[in-house]
Amino acid sequence: MTRLLQALLIGALAVLFAGAGYLFYDWRSGTRPLDPVATGQVVLAAKFMGLDNQPQALGQWRGKVLVINFWATWCAPCREEIPVFIKFQDQYGARGVQFIGLAIDQKERVGPYARDIGINYPVLVGGLEGMDFARQVGNSRGVLPFTLVLDRSGKVVTTEIGVLRAEKLESLLKPLL
Amino acid sequence: MRLIIALLLLLACAARAGEPELLEPEKAFRFSARMIAADRLEVRYEIAPGYYMYRDKFRFGAEPASISLDASQLPPGTIKKDEFFGEVQIYRGDMRFVLPLAEAGEPGPRFTLNAVSQGCADIGVCYPPQEQKAEIRRAGFSSGSPGAGLSPFLKSTPGAPASAAPPRGEPQSEDTLISELFRGGFWMLVLSFFGFGLLLALTPCVFPMVPILSGILVPHGEHLTHARGFTLSLAYVLGMAITYALAGVAAGLLGTLLSSALQNPWVLSGFAAVFVLLALSMFGFYELQLPSALQSRLTVTTSKLHGGHFASVFVMGALSALIMGPCVAAPLAGALLYIGQSGDGVLGGAALFAMALGMGVPLLAVGASAGALLPKAGPWMETVNRFFGVVLLGVAIYVVSPLLHAVVFMLACAVLLIVFAVYLHALDPLPHGAPGYRKLFKGIGVVSLLAGVSLLIGVLSGGRDVLQPLAGLRGAAVPAAQPVLFQRVSNLPQLESAIAAAAGKPVLLDFFADWCVTCKEMEAFTFTDGAVRKRLDEMVKLQVDVTANLAEHKALLRRYGLFGPPGIVFFDRQGNEIKGLRVVGFQNAAKFAATLDLVLN
Repeated sequence: MTRLLQALLIGALAVLFAGAGYLFYDWRSGTRPLDPVATGQVVLAAKFMGLDNQPQALGQWRGKVLVINFWATWCAPCREEIPVFIKFQDQYGARGVQFIGLAIDQKERVGPYARDIGINYPVLVGGLEGMDFARQVGNSRGVLPFTLVLDRSGKVVTTEIGVLRAEKLESLLKPLL
Repeated sequence: MRLIIALLLLLACAARAGEPELLEPEKAFRFSARMIAADRLEVRYEIAPGYYMYRDKFRFGAEPASISLDASQLPPGTIKKDEFFGEVQIYRGDMRFVLPLAEAGEPGPRFTLNAVSQGCADIGVCYPPQEQKAEIRRAGFSSGSPGAGLSPFLKSTPGAPASAAPPRGEPQSEDTLISELFRGGFWMLVLSFFGFGLLLALTPCVFPMVPILSGILVPHGEHLTHARGFTLSLAYVLGMAITYALAGVAAGLLGTLLSSALQNPWVLSGFAAVFVLLALSMFGFYELQLPSALQSRLTVTTSKLHGGHFASVFVMGALSALIMGPCVAAPLAGALLYIGQSGDGVLGGAALFAMALGMGVPLLAVGASAGALLPKAGPWMETVNRFFGVVLLGVAIYVVSPLLHAVVFMLACAVLLIVFAVYLHALDPLPHGAPGYRKLFKGIGVVSLLAGVSLLIGVLSGGRDVLQPLAGLRGAAVPAAQPVLFQRVSNLPQLESAIAAAAGKPVLLDFFADWCVTCKEMEAFTFTDGAVRKRLDEMVKLQVDVTANLAEHKALLRRYGLFGPPGIVFFDRQGNEIKGLRVVGFQNAAKFAATLDLVLN
């Protein structure tokens, strides 16, 4: 009986140690959820260069339902979703939805591409600092595409990593209009 | 039995854990490089399943610029049809390519490889182009391989070749010793592993096996002849060796999968738990032996066979190898990594078999002596056991230390030292005329007690420095060496404005964290030096404390291509980074002063 007890005790101890170790690791390296209001403030305080070489503050679109899309010309999945955004800008622009493209790319490539495909919303050029910004606002792995949706009060409603499909985008935007 | 089940369950859990949704780029595309000949560099990307890299996005360069790399002959990739880019060539899996290397002028002992690459994940996201650097050592065509988690293991045993203090998590040039070993041909390698096993036999790992073996030998009592003792222990050692050989085959066939599994926090914690268990047996909480039910069943089933007793001893050897496995696996991690890279099951099996035989030599000696060499029970023996118990607990703390917060780490050390002292009777009065060894143990116990108490006081008074636990208690009246005054910056804009404000002075940017022992050593031994201080006075000194590991800290680290402290980056008088002068890792005062001279001129 005591043998059994000892074995159980030691087993429990081992599991405890392993669990505690893992939790600590998780706690130290893990991604803590972002505060939607504070993150929104960070977003609206940011400033990036426009295609016309004029600095553009994101704060100028405060009060709109903002969809900020991080993309690049070298990113195939990004190219896939942009036509959807163009269509939605047309469809919902009048109802207060504003798309912003933030390109993690070189201006020389972004400009011609935006023209060719007919992007009908402002495109800013972030370069690699744009990626640092993306990490700061919830894109912990630094991947593209990445899309942030802010409501009219400037609160982050959702962050989406990977392609944002039309159905999902629609269901996200509808309640915010 | 339950103990074994619990252990197996634990290890099974460990193997399954940790599958994050999206990997950090440096984990999705593990980069390493090594020289394979005087004029050829092998670059390797271990691409995680579900991820791929674009063939036409690779760019390679070297510092100094006198080295030129020819990347025009990359191997063909598989074709991916892309809606937007047409047909592109991509790489998946374990990708290696050889770059011809030409050098104008005298070849230096080392150079820095800059590799730019870009890849995506199948789930539909892409990583931005990333630049990775590796220090390439040319002496003996050393190999580089990233793997922060392994380096502490390599340093943890006297037998394992020490790796050259690598910066945390950065692609590093690793010890030439093991890779040299693999160059020496099959038998040379097997012989080396035998020697490695002999060295492992000196570690506390083997100690818990002695009671198991004595459990086998003692029942024979008076009738135990030398020959029989030897054959019995040989059967035991062979059982152990064959188990390790199987592990070696697995390591060889599984490739580097195993080595990355060994860095998983679950596995590290599991190892620590095994060390704790072994330590508890050393403290006499329980006797480490195979459960009697299992033993008797083994004897019953095997006694029907010819030479049945040997078979049961053989199986016991195999089982104890399983129990002891994690204890040996830790110091072996480096070797397993290389076996994995060789991809050769036969080689892996033979090497580990030889190693287990080496480990078994002391056990064979015990057997051949017909038990005469078995340690005798007694107060002396108990103390030795406890000593090994403490060593094992210390190893447990060490293994998980990368996962621990500084406070927890210090507390654990303090508790260990104090409990050890109590076991050494540090608090009991010595009887009159006590034997010499008691006095020695008491002395060690008192020292351990004092060290433990000062750690405890230190950590409770806010000290986070294992090297100077009581630093926080220095009164203001005691003028300690004035610490270097750093200006704290915590994000990129702050850093940029601080550099702009430096107005013609060179800038030093130091990445610091609580847990970074090297940073503390630099602070304690290098920054306090007069010559260093004089030069530092002419510079603007900035420091980032990345202990909290916030997003903005990560962004800063990333900006300078560092994965974590220690790291010191310099900027010239115009505010541009001076590449090639970075200090990652400890530099003594003389060396650091020389570096500063280069910055100032």
